[in-house]
Amino acid sequence: MAKSLFAGFDLGTTNSAVAVFDGEHTEVIRNAAGGAVTPSVVRIDKNGRVTVGQRARRFLEDDPDNTASEWKRLMGTGTTRAFPAAGLAKKPEELSAEILRALRADVADQLGVEVERAVISVPALFELPQSAATSEAARLAGFARVELLQEPIASALAAGWRADDDGTATWLVYDLGGGTFDASLLETRDGLLRVVAHDGDNFLGGRDFDWAITEHLAAELGRATGVTLERRNPAHAGALRLLRLAAEDAKIELSRATTAQVVLARPLVVDDRQLEVDLTLARATVEAITAPLIERSLEVCLRLLAGHGLGPGRLARVVMVGGPTIMPHLRQAVAARLEAGLAEGFDPMTLVAQGAALYAATTGLDGRATPATAVPSGGVKVWLQYPPVSADLTPHVVGRFVGASPPARLRLERTDGGWQSPDATVAADGAFVTLTSLVPRAASTFTLVATDADGARVAVEPATITIVAGLTISDPPLSRTIGVALASDHVQVYFERGAPLPTRRTFTHTTVETIAPGVADSVLRIPIVQGELEHAHLCRLVGTLELRGAELRATIPTGSAVEVTIELDRAGCLTARAHVAAIAQVFEHVAHLLVPDAAPAALDAALADQRKHLAAVRTDAFRHGLRAVLDKLGTVETLLATAEHDIDAAHGGDADAAQKARRTLLEVDAILADADLARSWPELDQEAQAAAIAATGAVASHGTAAERRLLDEVLAALERARRARDPAELGRQLRLVNRLRTAARERDPDIWPLYLEHAASSIHEASDLPAAQRLVTTARAAAAAGDHDGLRRAVKALWTMLPIDAETRRMGFDSGVR
Amino acid sequence: MILDADDPFAVLGVAVTSTPREIEREAQKLLGMLELGFADAASYPGPGGPRPRTADAVRAAAATLRDPRRRLAAELTAGAPTAASTPAAPPTTPRLAWPGALARTGWGPRR
Repeated sequence: MAKSLFAGFDLGTTNSAVAVFDGEHTEVIRNAAGGAVTPSVVRIDKNGRVTVGQRARRFLEDDPDNTASEWKRLMGTGTTRAFPAAGLAKKPEELSAEILRALRADVADQLGVEVERAVISVPALFELPQSAATSEAARLAGFARVELLQEPIASALAAGWRADDDGTATWLVYDLGGGTFDASLLETRDGLLRVVAHDGDNFLGGRDFDWAITEHLAAELGRATGVTLERRNPAHAGALRLLRLAAEDAKIELSRATTAQVVLARPLVVDDRQLEVDLTLARATVEAITAPLIERSLEVCLRLLAGHGLGPGRLARVVMVGGPTIMPHLRQAVAARLEAGLAEGFDPMTLVAQGAALYAATTGLDGRATPATAVPSGGVKVWLQYPPVSADLTPHVVGRFVGASPPARLRLERTDGGWQSPDATVAADGAFVTLTSLVPRAASTFTLVATDADGARVAVEPATITIVAGLTISDPPLSRTIGVALASDHVQVYFERGAPLPTRRTFTHTTVETIAPGVADSVLRIPIVQGELEHAHLCRLVGTLELRGAELRATIPTGSAVEVTIELDRAGCLTARAHVAAIAQVFEHVAHLLVPDAAPAALDAALADQRKHLAAVRTDAFRHGLRAVLDKLGTVETLLATAEHDIDAAHGGDADAAQKARRTLLEVDAILADADLARSWPELDQEAQAAAIAATGAVASHGTAAERRLLDEVLAALERARRARDPAELGRQLRLVNRLRTAARERDPDIWPLYLEHAASSIHEASDLPAAQRLVTTARAAAAAGDHDGLRRAVKALWTMLPIDAETRRMGFDSGVR
Repeated sequence: MILDADDPFAVLGVAVTSTPREIEREAQKLLGMLELGFADAASYPGPGGPRPRTADAVRAAAATLRDPRRRLAAELTAGAPTAASTPAAPPTTPRLAWPGALARTGWGPRR
């Protein structure tokens, strides 16, 4: 019987790799040229022939127009890369598909297996649209099914697989890839790997190191020749690209030597002048110019540690992942600042792919089209549930026989002859539960021995199962809170940050406008946002569920109930569904699952806006002597300078720099919003106290026992947030307090007449005046008759007819629900 | 999730003194049983009678108990009397304030 084969793919910015795991060993698959990694470069020639990897990389210098590289940061952005010679344009996911196809062919060449199902790694801080684009790339490359895995979990799994310590240890994965930086704090305990938290910078990578060196070389060249090379000038792009390739080579050379010669075979042509390039680059110089970038990565690590009450020196080890981590001065800096030993003996270039392959085993995602265990043996069919990989050496096997007359007993016999389970009794409905005993750090195969009531052997299918003893991971946590933006610019939170994946939740919303069938531009939007802030406009829009008039069976009137279900799989990929009961129709079309565009002109305007906002916040902070706020603003200055630099490059046609600038500006937006909150701390604090008092009263008189207990918990958390002076957390707890208060108050019969009069006072603004007037009459009659339920129903229906002003709704991404 | 007030120990049917490994083993077994539709896994005794046990609830309970801080909070509030629970055994250590006080305040057998 063929062994299982689990495949893991690392789709990197600069390099990609594939590894397989057979249940005992991982193996990195070499490409046709013999390399363990394949450069993520695609070339399409004039005949439309596609070349990838090392052979394509050679053309970066001679035929840059038809050779694409470094598109990973553009995944999910909707931009395309043109290949003029062939007259083609490819989306980033189509380019990634070419790489995956090549790697898949390498596996087929060497192992004779067409991988159908696999795990592909993605950066931990990838936004949802970027993950969706990665899945699309896999589909284009011919995979039947893939699961995505966060890169730091993959590296940790690979590094921890061989770890011998069975106790509890905390460690950090420092993953500096070509385009992204991830820092993850992990804990192993009893063979179970848990991601405590992660942080990172979606736009810091080896590429930024290369640019820093390139800009230094350009400045040196300028000093020698008087010609200034500018990233914002599209005419200089070609010369800068050549200089960058030379910088990349010099950087690698300086990992071993103390000086490197930067010599180009041909002179650079700049503004009709020919420039000879012959420069010397010292390791010390590279260390100095890349120090701020390393510092930026270390700040992320220290912030992550501090967030979990850990200082430097508290880590068992640091695992270094990614090509740039080969640089000796980077390794020294990390070890020194984090006061931890670096885990040795791992290949930083292929660790992620190895981890992805191990993870494929954990989830039972066999790469072969037909799993090895599915060969029919003609016995009684049994459905089995067991962990394919287990940290626990005595996991359960749960099963159920199919058919009317199941065997009476079942036991498991390990094929090495070292162990057999006691006989488990099979229930009349075919169900049984039994224990196993695994060989440590190896794959154990068990034969299923079933017997009938007389003790005669009964053949079963499958006849054997295999369980690998090794490190496993718990359900990965969600990295950012996800919710639906409401027309009131608030967010209905579906999943809090840290929620275990996979997860699914359903909430019922009410529509705020009428959608008519057959009208093409009549659309009801349900925006899905990601972020930690209370107001929708401060969060990021990651997708919009659209109810389009053209697809409707019947009119959806204002105030209709819409059941929205959002589902996230283990890799954080999102699917959403809206069910409108009134017309018995389900909508699943999620549109605009794209990272927003980053046009240079729009970035210029955004930068100017942020500068103005910064000035306002700073003036105010000075006036009120708010030191904490002023401290935060220092970072904003630096970030705005970085953004300006990238916007310059964006003007020169660098789409990647444009995306980076967009992200930086969003980060600035969040910091300024936070500063705004801190500025309004006294009011927020007062509001929290008032809310606490009001909720305590309401819950004490009308709350259930569970609500009272919850309020105690929430009030304790509120107090912690007040003491820590954390406005964002205080805001979150405040929301919970208010929810509990509302729930309790709504049980108070005396409150509803007041609600009714308040709603009736603005009835002239109702979307359907006659209906609203009828409701007021019904409600008043119910109040007079002492019918509390009737009163409550009528007031709630009335609420759904009252308007939300257009400006607020625009801020909430034009949400059509509340 | 703060508003899901289910006692994670009750959802998994494990003692408050269980080791992380025992908890994972039980969660994995329950997920398998639920997947195959075992009737006896479909509910657990809650404070107001049997409560439905779903795969989502099992995963959420296991996630709560994996996080040391959340586990401690769960230990302190665990063990509300259930409809199916048997009368408590007489306290073995008379000096304790109430039965199980040690376990509730985070003391367990030496591991």
